Amino acid sequence: MRGGWMFRLALAITTIVLLLAAFGPSIAPYDPQESTGRFGEPPPPLAQWPGLLVGTLTGSLERAPHWFGTDFYGLDVFSRVIAAPRTDVSIALGGALLSLVLGTGLGLIAGFFRHWSTALLVRVSDVLQSFPVFITAMVLVALAGRQTGNIVLALCLVYTPIFLRLTRAEALTQAGRGYVEAARAAGAGPWTILRRHVLPNSLVPALIQLSATIGFAIMLTAGLSFIGAGVPPPTPEWGLMISQGAGDLNYGWWWPSVFPGLAIVITVFGFAVLGHALEEKFR
Amino acid sequence: MLRYVALRLGIALLQLVGLAIAVFFVIRLMPADPVARLVGLNASPEAYAQSKAALGLDRPVTEQLGAFLGVTPGQPGGGLLQGSLGDSWETQEPVVEELARTLPVTIEIVVLALLLATLLAIPLGMYAAMRPGGLADRSAYTWGLFAGTQPDYWWGLLFILLFAFTLGVAPAPLGRLDPVLVPPEQITGFILVDSLLRGRFDAFVSALHYLALPVITMVFTISGAIIKMIRQNTLRALRSEYVLHARACGLPEKTVARYALRAALTPTVTLIGIFFGVLLSSAVTLEKVFSISGAGQYAVRGILNFDYPAIQGVVLAVALVSLLVYLAVDLVHAALDPRARH
Repeated sequence: MRGGWMFRLALAITTIVLLLAAFGPSIAPYDPQESTGRFGEPPPPLAQWPGLLVGTLTGSLERAPHWFGTDFYGLDVFSRVIAAPRTDVSIALGGALLSLVLGTGLGLIAGFFRHWSTALLVRVSDVLQSFPVFITAMVLVALAGRQTGNIVLALCLVYTPIFLRLTRAEALTQAGRGYVEAARAAGAGPWTILRRHVLPNSLVPALIQLSATIGFAIMLTAGLSFIGAGVPPPTPEWGLMISQGAGDLNYGWWWPSVFPGLAIVITVFGFAVLGHALEEKFR
Repeated sequence: MLRYVALRLGIALLQLVGLAIAVFFVIRLMPADPVARLVGLNASPEAYAQSKAALGLDRPVTEQLGAFLGVTPGQPGGGLLQGSLGDSWETQEPVVEELARTLPVTIEIVVLALLLATLLAIPLGMYAAMRPGGLADRSAYTWGLFAGTQPDYWWGLLFILLFAFTLGVAPAPLGRLDPVLVPPEQITGFILVDSLLRGRFDAFVSALHYLALPVITMVFTISGAIIKMIRQNTLRALRSEYVLHARACGLPEKTVARYALRAALTPTVTLIGIFFGVLLSSAVTLEKVFSISGAGQYAVRGILNFDYPAIQGVVLAVALVSLLVYLAVDLVHAALDPRARH
């Protein structure tokens, strides 16, 4: 990675996003699901921001400013944007982590034990990987019901093959190494070797992949709700906000859709660059 | 060569059959109730049962599968073996016909976008790689970092806001043809081709006008990844020994660049093939933004309505197109890289 600043920027973005996932809904100035009664109010002009910021910090304002304006329903866009990681990031994190665990576990077994059943496993995973990702996720979530848990499971199904393939390739090379031979000569059973020796040495590619996968999973989660196959309204969620804000464009109200999109781009960029930096560091 | 193509087509066909069976079972394993979706939740048990029988869902699953595959009768127009995907439960029209109408719409956009993105990315990526550390190189690198992180539907909205609503140079996102024009009669389904074949130049110009924004949006969101790929591959090629040799022979830099390009193109072709499938799938969101009734919108409608024949059809059609593109990519690959020919 050229210059550490890009890496530090990515680290800052991902940290903030994770913090928002934890505390976003509680620090939002307005209830993200409750109308303020002010409809389609534009964000304050940039020139007023310093004054408003000072006012907010000293508590001298009669009401919190609508930093990003309000939408058609009178919802505060800023509150919704910072409350959304609770939905987007936890779904993406859950899906990515579940795929990591499942994919790494199966990949280790498939790479270490040469058997017809593990060969079959790899073929099934290949077929899964050849499915059109977005359409597959859409079918699964729409037919299973649009609950958070189902979105996580759909993400898991879509991303597990990536981790399986990465870990299996690594485990295949590790299984031929001298230290595995030595452990076997020392009388260790295959499962002990797998857990104590092959696993720690095969984890790196999957862990590097994790960051980028979280980013893609956020995109997918937002995309699903954008087309109406994700979390139901009025949940604060970036894709849903863009979808609803698209209608507001007709009135010339750009703020309900522009800010959540910006949040997606910045967040996914952060996770992608972090993954990229880790990859260059460890390869 | 011919034998290789036939073999690949045979494998693709087997994969499709496997996929068809997988899709068939996966959507039936889901806890969705298509009958309730069709007759409503307040329908009487008789109406429910009648509708269930009409959809063929009252029969055993194996019988349904047989009808779907075309091994046993029971589906109007036959099954997969007879080249039919059944009738849509929502519109009662044959799914194959609906796909023939909607799939070309999506393919047209994806092909145009990939073509434009590649034509843009090759000179940019090469220019960046020839002058490492320069401004072009750093911009290409930074842009490449954004690869795959762009929600295309959001950019589509921004472009509509800018070009259609503010500047007024692009038409409002109302499909793929000026609503006052009569669309040219369908021959291929690609509107640009059809309007030319029918001699409808007014429709051709209008279609270009309407295609511009969705295609530009797609080019914008995928160019980062393609530029990144070309830049990396050209850099690798420039460090190789045959380029060193070419330089040592005193060949002009232009010729050296051409050698490097050829080596850099091979992996890029593979990447573009993969992109084709990805874009076909992600066109779903973009089509919604521009109200284009392509395969993506068809998929969304089918999925949200629990229209099983339509879902099966879309998934199979997208998979078929992707498999054919992969085959084409491998053939181009073989033409570019002699090592891949065997």
